[in-house]
Amino acid sequence: MGKKTQVYDYHKTHGNIVDYAGYDLPVWFEGIIPECKAVRTHVGIFDVSHMGRVLVEGKDAENFLDKVTTNDVSSLAVGRGQYSLLCNPGGRIIDDLTVFRLGSSKFLVVYNAGNREKDWNWLEKNRESSTAKMVDVSDDVAMFAVQGPRAGNLLRKVSHARLDEVDRYGTKDVKVAGQSCLLTRSGYTGEDGFEIYVWNASIKSPANALKVWNQLLADGGEFGIRPVGLGGRDVLRLEAGMCLYGNDIDEKTSPVEARLSWVVRLEKKEFVGKDAIQVLRDKGPSRVRAGFKMQARGIPRQGHAILFDTEPIGKVTSGSFSPTLGVGIGMGYVKPTFAKPNEKIIVRIRDKDVSAKVVKLPFYQRKSNDHVVVFGEEMGFKDFRSKYSFETS
Amino acid sequence: MKGEYSVPDGLYYTKEHEWVRVEENKCRVGVTDYAQNSLHEIVYVDLPKVGTKVAQMQSLGTVESVKAVADVYSPVSGEVVEVNDTLSDAPELVNKTPYSEGWITVIKPEDLKKDLPGLMRPEDYRSLLKEITEKK
Repeated sequence: MGKKTQVYDYHKTHGNIVDYAGYDLPVWFEGIIPECKAVRTHVGIFDVSHMGRVLVEGKDAENFLDKVTTNDVSSLAVGRGQYSLLCNPGGRIIDDLTVFRLGSSKFLVVYNAGNREKDWNWLEKNRESSTAKMVDVSDDVAMFAVQGPRAGNLLRKVSHARLDEVDRYGTKDVKVAGQSCLLTRSGYTGEDGFEIYVWNASIKSPANALKVWNQLLADGGEFGIRPVGLGGRDVLRLEAGMCLYGNDIDEKTSPVEARLSWVVRLEKKEFVGKDAIQVLRDKGPSRVRAGFKMQARGIPRQGHAILFDTEPIGKVTSGSFSPTLGVGIGMGYVKPTFAKPNEKIIVRIRDKDVSAKVVKLPFYQRKSNDHVVVFGEEMGFKDFRSKYSFETS
Repeated sequence: MKGEYSVPDGLYYTKEHEWVRVEENKCRVGVTDYAQNSLHEIVYVDLPKVGTKVAQMQSLGTVESVKAVADVYSPVSGEVVEVNDTLSDAPELVNKTPYSEGWITVIKPEDLKKDLPGLMRPEDYRSLLKEITEKK
């Protein structure tokens, strides 16, 4: 028996429960495939209340977060957020996270459920003499992700707010089902959408969280909403070329290797891991993260060897069948010379060598309501649907 | 999700949730209703090659869903003489009709008399499923 989120009763009734990071969470409700399709064509709702969330406050909060994370916190305006990393002094990744500035000296930091204790301890250790105050609100605040092309329609219906009034990684205070919530225009699926935090909704008194969850599901009916489990969440993030901590990034991986340098601000005066990251960037990494697509039948899985001809050149860190693209896709680390699009590689799936080719990441990305990018090629959503025989059932 | 799983009479079963139907001097092999239901949404079946020799309970290939992989173990020793090629384009047949169109391979057994006592009768397999589902 693991920990339970605020809307566990819903999961228990409608979903298939698995243990994830110590939580009893749904792996799927109806099935991974229809759930992924709902997010790509309509809208899906995910319970992500297991994630770690910390409020950091005080006039020293900005300095502290700037020192402990890789992205530029001082550049964040109130109501804005950013994707970022925690690194150790060796320049390796402790976790990936998002940082939102809720007030001039108040921040919300969101990180992976599996790293809650580790991250909290790391933040606490690095806070040192700083006067910034940290409060772990993970068990006091419910968090749902609402993702897909109809997410904006649903938001309008439940809150009268407009999603297009909020910039990507922007925030807005909204009321849903009478509850005060924070909305951020962010997510982990490659679709437009938002994440919503229900402030007054602890695990011990989950009534308010359930009100919001049920309202979103009920009002989402006309937009084709489906609840989505962890299985779909993992597949959707892989299709969007995003890293999963523990699979694609870990304490042996540098942001330079993971191609996450875009959230590392080496121009900042100092931050934990800066010198080591600078050294590796100047020297050049010996391996980098690359995406690939299978060219023959077979589904790549984490741990499979990647070969060039017969020479082992790396390992698969995430792999799956892509319901959206109808093909096996994966990511792994290879020597930089093999990380170029169209490079032909081999994935050793059990005892079979199956051909694959390196493709540009992300595999899939939503550009606008009627445009998507698939394997680096921008196309109309209608063309995409006919080309990938992407039926909506 | 729970409920009853189909366990037809007249077949033999393995602990790993394969079924085998003895057809004159050959054995047709597939995975059980319980197996397909546990995997859910099968998207790929890695079939063995015709001519492959297998020992009893050696892996014949895999049945895969979006996120999970399950081995298919051979209930009998022998040689693969037929594979269900339709599963290449329609792996979902394993979900829809695991005991008929969703069959995986046909094996010419080496010594059926020796292998059969190691397999389960329908009533034994039903008890096994009862045990498994009651634990959950």
